[in-house]
Amino acid sequence: MAESGRHPFLQGLSKHRGAPPTVVVIFGASGDLTARKLLPAVYNLSHDNLLPADFHLVGFGRKLMADGQFRAVAEAAVKEFSRREPEPAVWARVAARTSYVAGGYDEPAAYQRLAVQLAEMERQLGRDLQRIFYVSTPPSVFAPIIEQLGACGLAAVHRDTPLHSKVIIEKPFGKDLASAQALNAAIRGVFAEHQVYRIDHYLGKETVQDLLVQRFANAIFEPLWNRNFIASVQITVAEEVGVGLRGGYYEQSGCLRDMLQNHTMQLLALTAMEPPGSLAPEAIRDEKVKVLNAIQPLAVGPGGDVARAQYAAGMVAGRSVPGYLEEEGIAAASATETYAALRLSINNWRWQGVPFYLRSGKRLARRVSEIAVNFRRPPGTLFAGETARFDLSANTLSFQIQPDEGLSLILNTKIPGLETRTQPVKMSFRYATTFGSNTAEAYERLVLDAIIGDGTLFIRGDETEASWRLYTPVLESWRAAGRDGMDTYPAGSWGPASADALLAGAQHRWRQP
Amino acid sequence: MEPIFEALPGLEVPVGGIGRSLARMWADEAAGGRPAPEAEDAKATQVNFVLHLGFNTDAADAARQFATVVRFAQRYPCRVVVLCPRAADAGGPPLRAKIYGECFLGRTRADKRCVEFVMLSYDRSARAQLEDQVSICLSTDLPLYYWAHRFADSGRLADYRFLLGQAKRVILDSAESPADALRYPWPNPAAIRDLAYCRLLPVRQGVGQFLAAYAPAALTEGLSVVEVEHGRTWRAEGAVLAKWVGERLAACGWAAGGGGVEVRERLEAGGDLGVRFRYEGGAKEFGWRGDLAAGQAHFRAGFGVGRTDLTTGLALLAPEVALSEAMFF
Repeated sequence: MAESGRHPFLQGLSKHRGAPPTVVVIFGASGDLTARKLLPAVYNLSHDNLLPADFHLVGFGRKLMADGQFRAVAEAAVKEFSRREPEPAVWARVAARTSYVAGGYDEPAAYQRLAVQLAEMERQLGRDLQRIFYVSTPPSVFAPIIEQLGACGLAAVHRDTPLHSKVIIEKPFGKDLASAQALNAAIRGVFAEHQVYRIDHYLGKETVQDLLVQRFANAIFEPLWNRNFIASVQITVAEEVGVGLRGGYYEQSGCLRDMLQNHTMQLLALTAMEPPGSLAPEAIRDEKVKVLNAIQPLAVGPGGDVARAQYAAGMVAGRSVPGYLEEEGIAAASATETYAALRLSINNWRWQGVPFYLRSGKRLARRVSEIAVNFRRPPGTLFAGETARFDLSANTLSFQIQPDEGLSLILNTKIPGLETRTQPVKMSFRYATTFGSNTAEAYERLVLDAIIGDGTLFIRGDETEASWRLYTPVLESWRAAGRDGMDTYPAGSWGPASADALLAGAQHRWRQP
Repeated sequence: MEPIFEALPGLEVPVGGIGRSLARMWADEAAGGRPAPEAEDAKATQVNFVLHLGFNTDAADAARQFATVVRFAQRYPCRVVVLCPRAADAGGPPLRAKIYGECFLGRTRADKRCVEFVMLSYDRSARAQLEDQVSICLSTDLPLYYWAHRFADSGRLADYRFLLGQAKRVILDSAESPADALRYPWPNPAAIRDLAYCRLLPVRQGVGQFLAAYAPAALTEGLSVVEVEHGRTWRAEGAVLAKWVGERLAACGWAAGGGGVEVRERLEAGGDLGVRFRYEGGAKEFGWRGDLAAGQAHFRAGFGVGRTDLTTGLALLAPEVALSEAMFF
């Protein structure tokens, strides 16, 4: 928001210090995400004095619990998962305004109880509160929660005022285009789009936000950011872990839905979009949608644009691990992919002919998420021909998103000595080395952004649909094919041979970051 | 005697060999098995930071401010130069140097930040060489921030134009500076930041957030006078708070008329800073009181809809956080 448009008593304060009186209601209050991320985020925001003086937290869940029990559970979660050792005085302030409502997600009476409780908070406080509903539940109850929030009137409280209600929705946002459209329709029946905050925590990571800064605040990159200078872009979201105890969930999801459709597409959109007209949320999201809509449909099948695979038994970090089909809760004939790789073509002026390679998988060689921009080699033969003397690499700019957030640039340089010989060197910038690692986590940033009404780092409904429009035909094709075309890769490797084949035609190779 | 310089930690080195001495210092640290920058690490430098200890600084205060900069550098690694002026009769060489380095280890192997400090003691005759010597110690393609601490005379500080003119921010503290410090015609007035104002961020934020929930007109209609109170040791902060509240109300459309903002020193216990809006007829009210020793603030408000009584936590920004606020926001 422009400084001139802010309340005079907020002018001069950074936008994140302008939170209005707020109550956050977490649906799925006893869930894993709440314990690991949301409650520590609330604690750390309070620690950093970023919550308003009149902040309230309400847990909502099916489990019967008294307020005191929920506070104890929440305190234990903060102690275990917060990036900081909790300070009793800070936690005491949060706990004093924390309560719990038990009820079914489709139980109208429970929502009435919630509405009464929130109204009573306002009465006691003597002024209005913004209501934020954080839906952190299994996706099967997303729609019932939204519908009940509409039916009991909570979605409409303070409508058309700065304190209008908001809803934050966790992924997965649909399982295909039809379900995403249905969910969007359900949401739009209750909330206006500006009240909706679809979360992808990758957007809260520093390096992801830094991508925009690097692209648009440094004059040296953007002139090169096109098909004339860039040969390819690789986006990797690799996990070292296997499916673990999430077999039941993962069997219904798979790698494409779990990682590629959301996280990697957001990374691609920020990498490939045109410069937005401003930093306003809608300006950025408009550009993201444009580039997503410019991606060509994917060809499936032999010689196509996609590869899928399951991990076989192998060795990770020096210990033997079972293959996917031997994991607990996995069907013996499972056709769920644990790895997927894609070759995308963006049909616009900037990117025509530049392949974007995306991959994600479980049980890969190491946990790493990165965007690597590979530049074309320089023309001419000045340093060509004598490969022993001239060891040249393509310039590569890579943004490492996790772990060790930062960026690096591969340059060719002369090896000191009388004879001119060359060698690639890597220049690195690490966030932790320069800024320290105890910075705000993604969820802190995103929860606060929702509180202050900044939707920049959230996904708009048409973004999710654009992404599903691309992936749904692939999923349908895979479902029809069953296990036909399913490749395997040893656990602890960088993926299957079929993924290498996606790049071979252009004589590109996957990085091993 | 150079009590300020002597009070600071570090190793005295020849002024002409600061760079070589820093390299040797890190090599010795590494050889001793202590944290030091590894070959693969760029030494982390975001900015240049010059702390200028004025003549009103004593040895204990110098050590305290140095510790503040060390804590600041843990969060924002920077190239630090500490300037220690010397009394005219101190004798000795016109320039002396000390070096100091620290590596801060974080949660991960990658989270290691190593920063370097150079302390320069100088007498007035060496001011011409000081500019060149400081430039050698800094990474001059990065922004410069300059903190002038407890200087005795604004006019004499104005002699340091190479710092005052080049610095992206010039940081003063109205609680510890000459009375004219904020009004003085500095070379770049837009760069001046008052640490007292920065320390008060939690107060400005708390009060600002609270009042922003009401329409500006609701705050100003019928407002006759604003009272700002402060304890004996919070005179500068009281002045800052009064100025800020007055400016914000003016932006809300308040024409103060005969009332305006009254500042008074309040000696009784129970609060260090306070703000009260007095309205005609008493139909509306707003009051905020901060007790910094207890770490609490209390709001009391009524603007015709309901009445609010709210107690919250309160702590002014720690010195190193106030520094970062002054520098980056």
